[in-house]
Amino acid sequence: MVEFRNVSKSFGKIKALSEISFKIEKGEFVYITGPSGAGKTTILRLILREILPDSGQIIFDGTDIVNLDRKQIPLLRQKIGVVFQDYKILPERTARENIEVPLAVIGIDPSQWEARVNQVLKLVGLTDRSDLFPAQLSGGELQRVSLARALVVNPKLILADEPTGNLNWETAETIVELFEKINHEGKTVIMATHNKMIVEKHKKRIIELKAGRISGQEKVKSKEEKEETVKSTVKVKVEEIGN
Amino acid sequence: MNIHYKTAVDYIKRSPFQALAAVFVLALTFFVGTHLAALVYSSGNVIKYFETRPQIIAFLKDEITPEQISALQNKLAVDERVKDVRYVSKEEALEIYKQATSDNPLLSELVSPAIFPASLEFSVSDLAFAEPIIEEVKKEGIVDQVGFTASLGGEKTLQDVVGRLKTVSWYLKVGGAVFVSLLAATSLLVLLVITGMRITTRKSEIEILDLIGATPGFIRSPIIIEALIYSLVGVFIGWLFAFLFWLYATPSIVTYFGDIPAFPKETLNFVVLFLIILAGELFIGIGLAIMGAYLAVSRARRNK
Repeated sequence: MVEFRNVSKSFGKIKALSEISFKIEKGEFVYITGPSGAGKTTILRLILREILPDSGQIIFDGTDIVNLDRKQIPLLRQKIGVVFQDYKILPERTARENIEVPLAVIGIDPSQWEARVNQVLKLVGLTDRSDLFPAQLSGGELQRVSLARALVVNPKLILADEPTGNLNWETAETIVELFEKINHEGKTVIMATHNKMIVEKHKKRIIELKAGRISGQEKVKSKEEKEETVKSTVKVKVEEIGN
Repeated sequence: MNIHYKTAVDYIKRSPFQALAAVFVLALTFFVGTHLAALVYSSGNVIKYFETRPQIIAFLKDEITPEQISALQNKLAVDERVKDVRYVSKEEALEIYKQATSDNPLLSELVSPAIFPASLEFSVSDLAFAEPIIEEVKKEGIVDQVGFTASLGGEKTLQDVVGRLKTVSWYLKVGGAVFVSLLAATSLLVLLVITGMRITTRKSEIEILDLIGATPGFIRSPIIIEALIYSLVGVFIGWLFAFLFWLYATPSIVTYFGDIPAFPKETLNFVVLFLIILAGELFIGIGLAIMGAYLAVSRARRNK
């Protein structure tokens, strides 16, 4: 789904990313971790084509987005749902209206809006607060609106930039659980975070960055894979005992 | 309601004084513009009236035959430069004289048709043709003298009258156009400033829309719609006030000018004239709004 091939990016003299390569498959949930300034947000901005790399290739959905025509950028972004640390919710619109905006952007018929918005509001648990304005919502609720807005257009990929950064532990937990739920429904999720507790609790694949380089990658096995590993280990042990 | 219209209307509601400023400036521009258009139309009609009324009289010699008169009349009639050729007999000339001196009947009692020469009256399609045609007609054997029919004020010839009117009309057109252009430029600047302010206040919204995949057209639409609303409302208010003014003033103007068709006498023609002016102004208003919004948006994108 997403592949970085020897991607480098500098901001002036500061090297944000150095020759990094990784591949994320469809349906994966990946944490991009590392300290501040490690290059986490730069990766997300590159995937969104907010910025261009100095060198390397970025493949999304089979297309090299580095060479994408300027006019194609909105179409690329329409395939990606984005959740931000600071929510980026339109303050003058209600939660429902905020969620409707991407539907208008991609040109969905307004007659379908209500059903689609209700569906995502139910998913994020905000059905009863949909007519409130952002100023009337808590941080966790705002992040749910942001997530609902990202999901309403049924994107192929969800990018989350420190989605729990402004939230307390309990709220952060529920948000990450929502991301997991979405991932279980088949969506690819890439979450940039420096929240180690979250990363450790919700075991997923991790791409760890340090000073613009990948310092470690950990592929977390699924429950089925873990069970299979245990079964095969037991089988080997039993066979060894038998011999 | 369409999301773009809703956004535009919401922003207008949120900053009513900006909206009023824009509408007032545009209304003033189009109020003056409507007056100018009406005056240009009127002066054009007055000039056309003087240019096309019978201007030249070829006085004929007494001894000529009807065949000779017909021959000259036909010759003039087929000339493309000449319009409305009319034969005026001695009797008709006397009648004209009697009408002209109706306030003093004694003057007409003392004359007989015999002393008035028969004549051929005609006008020219353009005053520039007057002199060469007069010279040509003078050479005709049956023509005694050639002259202009009218003289207004201190002018020696009708050409002078029309020349003076043309000068006045030219000053009206150029002066009015300069004034309206200045007002239009001010309107454009006001639209630019207001649109620029709108873009500044919507900066974070534009950034969010950009990130969720909105096309530049989608982002621009509410800004253009807002400018269009200001412009269309401004055009209509400006036009409406000018229309009411002329509606009130036209009876007096028509009476003052008499036979000269300075303004349409029929209500339908009057309304049609002003509807044509409104259509033109709407076209210009839409152009101003789109230009203002595009300039402001492209400037904002350059400064991004």
